Amino acid sequence: MSRRAPEDVIAAVAARRLSLDLGPLDVCFLVALYVRGEGAQLASFTEVQLEDVFAQAAAAIEPGAEIKRRAAPAIQRLRDQRLLARVDGQGVVKAGEFALSRLATGIVEFFLEEDILTRESLSVLTASLTVAITSVLAAARIASDEAAWRDGVLGPLRITIGELVAGIERRQRGLDLQQEDFQAEIRRLLEADWFGAIERCQGLLESTSATLRELNDMLLRDASSLLSLLHDVEELALGAGADEAAGAAHRLMDQVDRIAAWGTARQRAWSEYFQYVHRYLRDVVRLDPTRALTQRLRDQLAGAGQRFALTHAAAAPIRILRTVAPVRTKPPVVRPRAAREREPVAESTEDPQAALDAKVQASIDGGAAALSTVTHDVTAELPGPERFIEAGRVAGTVARLARARSAIERPWVAVGEDLVIEDWAVTRDARGGSR
Amino acid sequence: MTRPGYAQLQDVLLDADFPDLDLALRGGRHVDRDDAAWYALLTDAQDHLEPFYRRYGAELIHKADGYYYLLPTGDKLSRRTLGAGEMLVGQALALLYLDPSAVERGGIVSVEDVVAQLVAVLGSDALIAEFNPKRKRHDERIAQKNVRSRVADAVRRLAGLGFVEAQDGEKLRLRASLLRFAEPVRGLSAPAEALAKLVAQGEVALADEAREDTDQRDDEGEDQGEGEDQGEGEDPDEEDAVPDVVPEPARSGAAPVVGPRVIERSDEDLDEFDAELGADDDLDDDGSPG
Repeated sequence: MSRRAPEDVIAAVAARRLSLDLGPLDVCFLVALYVRGEGAQLASFTEVQLEDVFAQAAAAIEPGAEIKRRAAPAIQRLRDQRLLARVDGQGVVKAGEFALSRLATGIVEFFLEEDILTRESLSVLTASLTVAITSVLAAARIASDEAAWRDGVLGPLRITIGELVAGIERRQRGLDLQQEDFQAEIRRLLEADWFGAIERCQGLLESTSATLRELNDMLLRDASSLLSLLHDVEELALGAGADEAAGAAHRLMDQVDRIAAWGTARQRAWSEYFQYVHRYLRDVVRLDPTRALTQRLRDQLAGAGQRFALTHAAAAPIRILRTVAPVRTKPPVVRPRAAREREPVAESTEDPQAALDAKVQASIDGGAAALSTVTHDVTAELPGPERFIEAGRVAGTVARLARARSAIERPWVAVGEDLVIEDWAVTRDARGGSR
Repeated sequence: MTRPGYAQLQDVLLDADFPDLDLALRGGRHVDRDDAAWYALLTDAQDHLEPFYRRYGAELIHKADGYYYLLPTGDKLSRRTLGAGEMLVGQALALLYLDPSAVERGGIVSVEDVVAQLVAVLGSDALIAEFNPKRKRHDERIAQKNVRSRVADAVRRLAGLGFVEAQDGEKLRLRASLLRFAEPVRGLSAPAEALAKLVAQGEVALADEAREDTDQRDDEGEDQGEGEDQGEGEDPDEEDAVPDVVPEPARSGAAPVVGPRVIERSDEDLDEFDAELGADDDLDDDGSPG
């Protein structure tokens, strides 16, 4: 199974506009259905049973309220949110049979279950994990074809072992919630019975610390053996080219790593909390059994008595001086100077237009009867780019020195390999030379 | 009890942690058990360090609540008194430290909790008046913002002194040294009597003495913070910054002067000082000759 990118998952969920809207009565109704189903071994509920259970839940939440009329919308609300599924498939033919969906069961189990990681549950789960991974490892050693890898390795890794690891993680979250409850409980105890709460607070702190210490020790010990087994499975899978199995083993290794890291992190965090509360109990609660200090301090803050200010040392920090470097004098920014007067340069006195005139005239005199011929004669020795420029000048000179005629549609004529011009017919001027 | 490694003062001074610890103590830092290495060093070397700092005219104080700090008793080491705003915020933090609701969160509170505590005890109007003492009329929104800004500044300065520890974001971890703010009301004796004793020990200064410095500092901060975006990064204490350089005679002399000195003087001292300078008694409030 390839893992989907988080942004894809989020985008897909966002596109479906998923939401849940459950009030206390809805949750209570779901719980009541779950409990009734478990107690009476019911796989599904008839409509009458649903209404009965709803009445029971509503009576618990709002005693004396009008119940009958509200059962139908409540059932429909659960149906709309896919918490209650119709399972008989009879449509309008007869009254339906309904069952709680997996989503509803999950919600109810969250509120009901007391899955908290304990020494006993962790011991059972890690032992089961070890057995399961060992058997997967054995299957991996003898797996010879794709089907054997799929059935003997990939399947158990994903389902059996995945469920066991997820079970540990779920119980870890349960323990996290329990710790939060303990912290709130310590506060409640102190508020209710300031000095008398010391013993019970210390009891709570110490029992949780001992549990976490035991769990962490077990996790550190068992995680290394589990990782070693999973590593062997991954190596075998990679060697056999079973990439999916290798990927599944790798993901499980990540999960086991996370589980071990959880133990260490929680123990450290709880240790800090333990120390804080322990000091508080010792320094604040024990030394102020009547809790008078809080009131006196409150009065002091409110302005009772003379105002004062605490004194403290205030030596300036040692100054470490920079190494002094001599300042470089930068020359002012100026424009580069150039000579205002330029030296005279000798230039050729030959007029290029006169030279061109002579060449054109010579070509015409030599019998050239078309512009293309004159252009060819005059520019034949020039390189390509210059020929293009010179061709324009030749046309102008021909028009000036001879009589040019052209049809309405002038033909395009190639002059050499890289030049094409619109051609004119050229005749010598009647005056026998240039005009 | 001195551990074997600290048979002599020299061993303490050679400890790798000592320079930082020494600078922190001289800067007014309160060191508690959360500063594990420093606290262990102070505990182990207390017998050597108490006479060491006494030579600088300062007492190394160790409170039973589990924290150390340096209290200047002479004039060799600079000292400062907390401002009125810092005192208010410090007392509010101390109240939070005593509150079981902070225990639930392991002593972690936010700046908003501090403001809420101040409002609960003083009331909004009194709180605004405390932090905007010179303003007779004020825009409510700006005044409230000013209060929040001043409280945050005070919290930052108190964190620098080790009363709280700044955590990620706006969270603060309360520390045992906050109980210093409750010292006048902790004992069995009457608060006024306890306060007089603390004044005599140099632990606290009465507000009249401390107020002048504070008012001046607050005024400077207020002048800078008239607008909406008043400088939260500004540290008004920097206005009190002592001269950077130790005077040359002090550096070359044998006396162990370790830094610039800001000496709190009584009115008699100031009169004597004026007489030495031959200053006229009739000076205007701004110090110019009348």
